[in-house]
Amino acid sequence: MKNLYIFIAVLFIPWSFSLAKYDEFEDGDDIMEYDDNDFAEFEDVSEETVTESPQKIITTEDDEEEATVELEGQDENQEDFDDTDTQEGDTESEPYDDEEFEGYEEKPDASHSKNKDPITIVNVPAHLQNSWESYYMEILMVTGLLAYIMNYIIGKNKNNRLAHAWFNVHRELLESNFALVGDDGTNKEATSTGKLNQENEHIYNLWCSGRVCCEGMLIQLKFLKRQDLLNVLARMMRPASDQVQIKVTMNDEDMDTYVFAVGTRKALVRLQKEMQDLSEFCSDKPKSGAKYGLPDSLAILSEMGEVTEGMMDAKMIHFLTHYADKIESVQFSDQFSGPKLMQEEGQLTKLPETKKTLLFTFNVPGSGNTSPKDMESLLPLMSMVIYSIDKAKKFRLNREGKQKADKNRARVEENFLKLTHVQRQEAAQSRREEKKRAEKERIMNEEDPEKQRRLEEAALRREQKKLEKKQMKMKQIKVKAM
Amino acid sequence: VPPDGAPFPPGRYKPPATETNPALEDPTPDYMNLLGMVFSMCGLMLKLKWCAWIAVYCSFISFANSRSSEDTKQMMSSFMLSISAVVMSYLQNPQPMSPPW
Repeated sequence: MKNLYIFIAVLFIPWSFSLAKYDEFEDGDDIMEYDDNDFAEFEDVSEETVTESPQKIITTEDDEEEATVELEGQDENQEDFDDTDTQEGDTESEPYDDEEFEGYEEKPDASHSKNKDPITIVNVPAHLQNSWESYYMEILMVTGLLAYIMNYIIGKNKNNRLAHAWFNVHRELLESNFALVGDDGTNKEATSTGKLNQENEHIYNLWCSGRVCCEGMLIQLKFLKRQDLLNVLARMMRPASDQVQIKVTMNDEDMDTYVFAVGTRKALVRLQKEMQDLSEFCSDKPKSGAKYGLPDSLAILSEMGEVTEGMMDAKMIHFLTHYADKIESVQFSDQFSGPKLMQEEGQLTKLPETKKTLLFTFNVPGSGNTSPKDMESLLPLMSMVIYSIDKAKKFRLNREGKQKADKNRARVEENFLKLTHVQRQEAAQSRREEKKRAEKERIMNEEDPEKQRRLEEAALRREQKKLEKKQMKMKQIKVKAM
Repeated sequence: VPPDGAPFPPGRYKPPATETNPALEDPTPDYMNLLGMVFSMCGLMLKLKWCAWIAVYCSFISFANSRSSEDTKQMMSSFMLSISAVVMSYLQNPQPMSPPW
């Protein structure tokens, strides 16, 4: 019995050892062979097979780990021999009975002598070390993830606090100027929600309506992406600031036809390239606003001089000079249609829809490191917006200006039509062909031969009529020409 | 109450579609979603642990940048896929990841 226990112990240690490395047993056949050998060893209770089995197990494994397993296997075997012996209370001084393990003795001795000479200290693979330290890359990864999650929560909360601080500061002014403050479009009836509409973790919207001259005002608080750690790190290299974008949609009858913009030079250059209306109507480069007493940082883009004169009244200049650092751009346009659309050729058949709009983009002070208190400094800018709404309503071009403006708009439309003329013709042609093809298909698909004949005749008649009409037209033109 | 004193018309109360094409604005969440799925498939097929970890990061970034109108199912599926890639890589090969240097 004692022998059997020892056999089992000897077998199990290296066996469990090798089981821990699943990847070694990729080939199913190996496992089968191994199993067979294992059971065979149990059946054949001879010492030779017992001693061979550790070696066999070793040879089925990878070359890399052969040496280590051999060494360790040997060590383990010997240790366990000792252990089992002591557990069983074997009082013999020798580790094992010489008589019983004849064959086994030789092998270990032989391999031992082999190993004596070149004592190579082999690196134990990391996962056999059983220590957490070897998994330091994984710990790093998890720490990174935790840091990301922490930043997400902190950033989200900060943006939330900033948004609500802004709203609390501006609530009174808005409620005194607009009947409806806050609407998310879900209610059937138009009632003030009195709350910001959160679109994102960094974008908050507010819709105000119910005032003379304007259809409505959409305020977008575009904060920095504080909830995204990547963005936070990118901002460390390239500082940016939160922005408040206000878009006032004017009623058609409440604004005259002009295109005008004022803002930082950089912003205006960019807008001139991007915006459809600014690129078409304001062809000159942004001019310095120094002529009107504006600081150097601000520039003006205008359709015509008269508009600039009209817009730059004392109060506006006061607003612009005092809050120049917070103003990114201000755009008044009756032809506003958003940024230039990149459309494929052949698709642009209609002018984009335009709306009379006033656009304001303000930078929140602090350039990223804003606190809720900074929102108070934006309140005068909202007053400027309200003032601009009234001003846009009151300002009318004189006769000359109106003529120029109308000419400009007609010119733009003509250019557009010329560009798309060819495309429109092609579109009409293709439509006609499609109709003919559909007709022919219908005729072909008709099962009843009689119906087919009738449809064909009808189609022929229609074509004849068309030809006749064309001929008539040609005749008429000829007569007129004469 | 408007300051003018003039009676104000019952204006248009419904907010317009805040952005006619939200996809134009910021493609980050969509790209990150796609990247995350690609990396997790690489990690699963090629048994590369670092691919799987990057996939987890991508799905987190996609979630952080997502719009509120975005489908949560998509987010969750990409997240689950990346987690499963990590788990499978470790089950198949419990060795710790080795740094590239």
